[in-house]
Amino acid sequence: MAQTARSVARQRAERARQARERAARRARRIRTAWWVIAAGPAFVALLVLIRVAIPDEPVGDVASDRQLSSAVIAALRPEPSLLDSVGRGQGVTPPTAIADQPPLTADGKPLVLYVGAEYCPFCASQRWPLAIALSRFGSFTGLTASHSASDDVYPNTATISFHGSTYVSEYLAFQGVELATNKRQGRRYAPLDELTPEQEAVVNTYNAPPYTPYAGSIPFLDLGNRFLQTGASVSPELLVGLSHDEIAAEIVNNPSGPVAQAILGSANAFTAALCVLTDGQPGEVCDSPAAQAYQAEVGR
Amino acid sequence: MTEVARAGSSRRTAEAARPGVPRWAVPASLALALVGLGLSAYLTVEHFTAPGSLACPVGGAVDCAQVTTSAQSKFFGIPVAVLGIVFFAAMLALCLPMLWQRRDRRLWQARLAVAGLGVLFVIYLIFAELFLIEAFCLWCTAVHLVAFGLFAVVVLASAMADPSPFDQR
Repeated sequence: MAQTARSVARQRAERARQARERAARRARRIRTAWWVIAAGPAFVALLVLIRVAIPDEPVGDVASDRQLSSAVIAALRPEPSLLDSVGRGQGVTPPTAIADQPPLTADGKPLVLYVGAEYCPFCASQRWPLAIALSRFGSFTGLTASHSASDDVYPNTATISFHGSTYVSEYLAFQGVELATNKRQGRRYAPLDELTPEQEAVVNTYNAPPYTPYAGSIPFLDLGNRFLQTGASVSPELLVGLSHDEIAAEIVNNPSGPVAQAILGSANAFTAALCVLTDGQPGEVCDSPAAQAYQAEVGR
Repeated sequence: MTEVARAGSSRRTAEAARPGVPRWAVPASLALALVGLGLSAYLTVEHFTAPGSLACPVGGAVDCAQVTTSAQSKFFGIPVAVLGIVFFAAMLALCLPMLWQRRDRRLWQARLAVAGLGVLFVIYLIFAELFLIEAFCLWCTAVHLVAFGLFAVVVLASAMADPSPFDQR
């Protein structure tokens, strides 16, 4: 009897000891769990502190200031017959027409607003046809040779920069805004041009839904509030590995090649849209086969 | 032994075999997995419908387009948003009430391992945002927070389970 009682007591004591051990193990597990849980956010906080502590690199000369070669200057004003022969071209995304918006003007003329950045490869490909089309209605001074960033997709795409340029036309006004250079300044590319309040209002309204699926992408183009384009009309993929002079040679000498087909075809699409803004002026441009190639899209 | 006594005994045995999961663990883990799944689905749609094919994103440090169209938005060619869907779907399955109740140590280890893998990947993505892309996406940050929260719930619930599957001999 006494033996049974002692046996029961021993079993109880053993159970109690096991329970204490289990509770201690559980307490240890919970303590460890809290440390494991805290380790992740602590590591992230450390990363943030390191990032904040790294100073932005200073940047020297930020603007593109290379002169355009005579070949590039010539390619930006191709023979009208060349543009006529290319017509619609290939690989072109024309601008989209918008209706019932107040006209965008400057100095009493329809305003073409381009917003881009020198680092952006899609802006790089967009500038070629835009400059060619605008050159049919007026003339540029101060255009410089530039290239897209070397650390982005389609690196070093050869292009021109609108930064610091002047455009004079009897029919149109043009504002080209290059928001940043192609040179890194710490976390971003070094800033270049700033939007004026008026330009910012246009961008906030038309470079945002419902006019574009995403707000604020570049290149952004507003043709007098009659046509919009967010993104490039021509893929920079076509220009990969080509120098400025090689692109110019493709435009002038190889009209059936993919570069000329895209750039001159896109220039014709812009020309057709610009002719809507100028009410068909000048006639020798707007009545040409080149300008008529995209007549259906622009509704002339 | 009567039928009632036998039934009571087998119920006690079954209850003893179940891990004692904290009450909040099941709804919290399910809710977080569902929220993460929803956010990942949204980011996947954004990834595939972004107009970025011929456009560059521009903006301040908080810039979803810059993040979701960056080179780091893919991991070995797979969009990370899709990987997010896979991760949260797996966690949703592993956090089903019936699986929380099973006292299978390997199952609990798998749940911890998947949650841990998710957090490690999130840390890599935060590193990429900070040092490679140099922009943040609020939607992505929400996913990161959910992944951290899910990991915390799983780890804490696993530690607090009493009896614990990890006490099995």
